[in-house]
Amino acid sequence: MSSRRSRQSGISDDQIANLVTKLQHLIPELRRRRSGKVSASTVLQETCNYIRNLHREVDDLSDRLSELLASTDDNSAEAAIIRSLLN
Amino acid sequence: SSMNEEFLKKWQMGLQIFSPSIDNTSVSERKRAIKLSADVAMASLRKGTTCWSRALIQKTATEDNFLVRQMLSGIKEEPLINKKLPKVMCHRKIVRRSKKILMRRKSRSAMEEVAAKKLVKKKTQGLRNVVPGGEFMSSNVLLIQETLDYIISLQTQVNVMKSIVDAAEAGIER
Repeated sequence: MSSRRSRQSGISDDQIANLVTKLQHLIPELRRRRSGKVSASTVLQETCNYIRNLHREVDDLSDRLSELLASTDDNSAEAAIIRSLLN
Repeated sequence: SSMNEEFLKKWQMGLQIFSPSIDNTSVSERKRAIKLSADVAMASLRKGTTCWSRALIQKTATEDNFLVRQMLSGIKEEPLINKKLPKVMCHRKIVRRSKKILMRRKSRSAMEEVAAKKLVKKKTQGLRNVVPGGEFMSSNVLLIQETLDYIISLQTQVNVMKSIVDAAEAGIER
């Protein structure tokens, strides 16, 4: 019974290590740190930070876009530019 | 890339459908519509094959059921509104109890290993909080697979939105 359990967790430990390496390659902050091994918990923490940063970026871009669209209520040249980008 | 193009197309369609919430409304209403349409566009790219995308559609539908349905119909992805999320599997209490029994007889290095595992567990919990539908991903393997896909999708969303906004702002400055 216990050997079966450790065998199962052995397989998923490898899988997880593999997936954590993939994360490491995806996250800019960690790609730069070429030196040596990075711990799993560091990768996961940086992943969290990175996702939060991306959320903030989307939020900021949405702010800016809504400001831009505000200035197009009056059918100006700006309006034409933005509408063309969005169509 | 084709993912960028597909996202842009769907987002454009969404913005047109959301235009009652965009034209002649408040800045916050506009922003909300922009974000909502961007999230629906991003999630729909996965066509319901990932947990995070199904969870995100559900979340956007809670915020504006009517408009989200309209947008999904506009981009021909109506079935996505009905995609279910997996049931939460909660064995936490049992796992905790059996771990306590095991811990009593461990050597020092084994204790360190347990501590490291605890730290990883804490960090994966953090991930569950930022990935849509994370609370339904009881397996760490699934969680990280979903996270990888979610990050790629977010990068697409950011890249496309950024090029549009940068170009529009540059156009205005001229």
